[in-house]
Amino acid sequence: MDLLQNVFAMLYQFGDTFAFLVISCAGLAVIFGMMGVINLAHGEFIMCGAYVTASAARAGLPLPVAILTGALVAGAVGMLVERMVIRHLYHRPLDSIIATWGISLIATQGVLIVLGSTMQGIGTPLGSIEVGSRSYSLYRLVLMVCALGLLGGLYLLFYHSRFGVIARATIQKPHMAHALGVNTGRMYGLTFGLGAALAGLAGGLYAPTMTMVPTMGATFIVESFVTVVVGGADIFVGAAPAAAILALIKAGLTAWYGQLFGQIGLLVTVILVIRILPGGLSGWLKGTTR
Amino acid sequence: MTDILRVQGLRKAFGGVVVANGIDFSLSTGAMHCLIGPNGAGKSSFFRLLLGEHAPDAGTIIFDGSDITNLRSFQRIRRGISVKFQVPGIFKALSVRQNLEVAFQDHLNGQSLNTKIHEMLDFTDLHAEETTPAGNLSHGQQQWLEIAMAVGVEPKLLLLDEPTAGMSPDETRKTGEMLHDLNARGITILAVEHDMAFVEQIARRVTVLHFGSIFVEGTIAEIIDHPGVQEIYLGTADV
Amino acid sequence: MISSETTPRSRTRSLLARLEGPQTMGRGPAFWIAAAVAIAAAAAYPLTADAWTVGNAAYFLIWTFMAMGLGVVWGYAGALSFGQTAFFGLAGYAYGVITLNLGAAYGLTLVALVLAVAIGGLFALVIGYFMFYGRIQGVFIGIVTLSVTLVLETFMAQTAGPQWRIGEARLNGFNGMSGMPPLTLPWVGEDIALYPGPSLYYLLLGLVVICYLGLRIMLNSSFGNVLVAIRENPHRVGMLGYDVRLYQTLAFAIGGAFAALSGALYTAWGQYITPSSMGLTSAALPIIWVAVGGRRDITATLIGTIVVLAGFQSLTIYGSQYALVVMGALLLVTVLVAPQGLVVGAMTFLGRIFKKDKS
Repeated sequence: MDLLQNVFAMLYQFGDTFAFLVISCAGLAVIFGMMGVINLAHGEFIMCGAYVTASAARAGLPLPVAILTGALVAGAVGMLVERMVIRHLYHRPLDSIIATWGISLIATQGVLIVLGSTMQGIGTPLGSIEVGSRSYSLYRLVLMVCALGLLGGLYLLFYHSRFGVIARATIQKPHMAHALGVNTGRMYGLTFGLGAALAGLAGGLYAPTMTMVPTMGATFIVESFVTVVVGGADIFVGAAPAAAILALIKAGLTAWYGQLFGQIGLLVTVILVIRILPGGLSGWLKGTTR
Repeated sequence: MTDILRVQGLRKAFGGVVVANGIDFSLSTGAMHCLIGPNGAGKSSFFRLLLGEHAPDAGTIIFDGSDITNLRSFQRIRRGISVKFQVPGIFKALSVRQNLEVAFQDHLNGQSLNTKIHEMLDFTDLHAEETTPAGNLSHGQQQWLEIAMAVGVEPKLLLLDEPTAGMSPDETRKTGEMLHDLNARGITILAVEHDMAFVEQIARRVTVLHFGSIFVEGTIAEIIDHPGVQEIYLGTADV
Repeated sequence: MISSETTPRSRTRSLLARLEGPQTMGRGPAFWIAAAVAIAAAAAYPLTADAWTVGNAAYFLIWTFMAMGLGVVWGYAGALSFGQTAFFGLAGYAYGVITLNLGAAYGLTLVALVLAVAIGGLFALVIGYFMFYGRIQGVFIGIVTLSVTLVLETFMAQTAGPQWRIGEARLNGFNGMSGMPPLTLPWVGEDIALYPGPSLYYLLLGLVVICYLGLRIMLNSSFGNVLVAIRENPHRVGMLGYDVRLYQTLAFAIGGAFAALSGALYTAWGQYITPSSMGLTSAALPIIWVAVGGRRDITATLIGTIVVLAGFQSLTIYGSQYALVVMGALLLVTVLVAPQGLVVGAMTFLGRIFKKDKS
């Protein structure tokens, strides 16, 4: 009995970390994989999604609708940012990253000025379940399902939809796509918007579990960077397995040595991975299967 | 006469694509040799293997009497290989003089460096452009600058990847003359080239690569008369 | 006999000749007279202001080292590091831990300063080794360095418990360390403790001048030549026989050591250091100074940093969040309008106007 309980505890810890990594890195990975831009305002889009979700939920919308609203608003803001800033910097990828850092500063501090240092949150719904002597949050189990659903949805979107085909063509051969009549500017806008919306979704999904502060995006940013670095440019071949591996490492270290070692383990993994596999997991996997 | 370069059983595949299929090749010291072949024959991959940009799956590369198969690119360069790429590999934001400084400062310093730079400015006729950013030079001048960077260090072996790409007929002829001049000074030259007229001008011997292997090797006349070569290469490329 | 006398002298002369060169703006008597006037004005400044203001000016000078180091790494070697604050913070903590354990007597704070810079530089060397020998490039350098500084911040913020102590020094988690001694010069009779004020200001001004001139010499040397060549075309540099990874790692370590110098001096100046000095907002600031000033020229970096810091300071009276919004907007405007930097842009603009007037 004890063994089963421990196994469940480990699985829960793993699933929880995996879900967090997948959900928080999806938006970053889509923008980076498709456009080569590292969005340093990623955390602020997450914050935006969380704030909108919390406000909408407190205004009376059911939580799933509130979360979708948060994602949509973040996506709309993302498209606006792309239009006004990122579009002018496509030929200068490093500068576009720095620009997103500027946006991040403005957003964090602007929210601090306008909405104050904290906002009333919403409680975690669904209560908890008991397994043996320990109790587990049911909402976090839902998040694990959401993570898998998110991966599935993105797979369908990029490999089995018209948008996905055009988006991938635009990314691989922008000139060719342009010559074939694809509005490449609009594709970049939509891709950036999608990435921002996914970040907003992450914020919405985790809003019920977190304290609402303007700097809450920073909580997500290390983990999502690390996942994208370890995974490399491709979200399916890279980021998803990277999330699984990192979750295993982090959950294992956290269970045995505590939170701190979980995080240090992540950092050490990153440094070792970049030393051994410079292209990340996806570069390595693609290199061996080609 | 000894061989400056000896390649044995060199093999490299990317997944299913074999770019070097057991190449055996040797180059005698002082040679002036051209490597030709249709597109995709493995010419560039062969250069990359020689330069250490790809690690071979099998085979050895002996340069100047020692095995360099496992050396990194910069270590091979330090042993006396020099390269000029097809697309001018220069430092566009830096001045012509700085480009030459970076190329030579590892071997020379102080007054001897200065003398060398002046010699190379004479050689390339770029004295007036000494302080111009290299990116502002004409395409031909950029090619010249890179050749100067490659030969100024007096390498034992000079690798040239389509040295005349994008040059005018006049510049091409001048380049050919310059290569003869360098060769006379004792530099072994191996060039990948498409332009058969230029090959005739510079090469004493020619090797034809096809599907990652040596198809035939001989004098330029032998190559041109070879029926198989006409079939695989000249017939299609000599439009 | 004669040669032994002339060699060091000619070596000195060739070093001094490196003060000017293609990698640094400003040459000729006019520039050096202007530089001398600027240094003289900076040296005269404490005579015109009260001790508190002078201590505040010393605070500006502290940050210039980190900015110049980032200028070398980013502007010259072309590797955009987002995590210079990691080396800043590490050295700041190192200074605190060492001085709290050793005390301030016998000039030991100066030893602590040197050790802290060495620790920060060594850490940068290790991180640089893993990055550059792992062939990490472009944006990934930014992400890895940023991750390093953010994880260090989290790590230090979790050290609140009493078990987190190194000798006498408690790390104190989120609240940070405090109470370490300032820089103290051993002196006959009584040691001189350098609290924020004119004497610390002069020490820092001297350090800034030495570091600035030293960097000019380094950047115009053959080492600097290779660095800018790597920025332009690393592949070609390798094909000229240079070990590109080694040069990048060394440049990164130098940049890290400069950030570490800032960190140790910062701790000595304010006698405290907190984990947030390694956080996301702190990490953004050096990027802003260097980008706004102009990263490809060490003089522009230095001037830009001091001007932006002064502007930031004067905005902080309205609240630091307002100042940070302005900083973010300044960064956006720079990237969009004058990507080479506002100071460099202004210099070029002025140069063009002068030319027009002449013609």
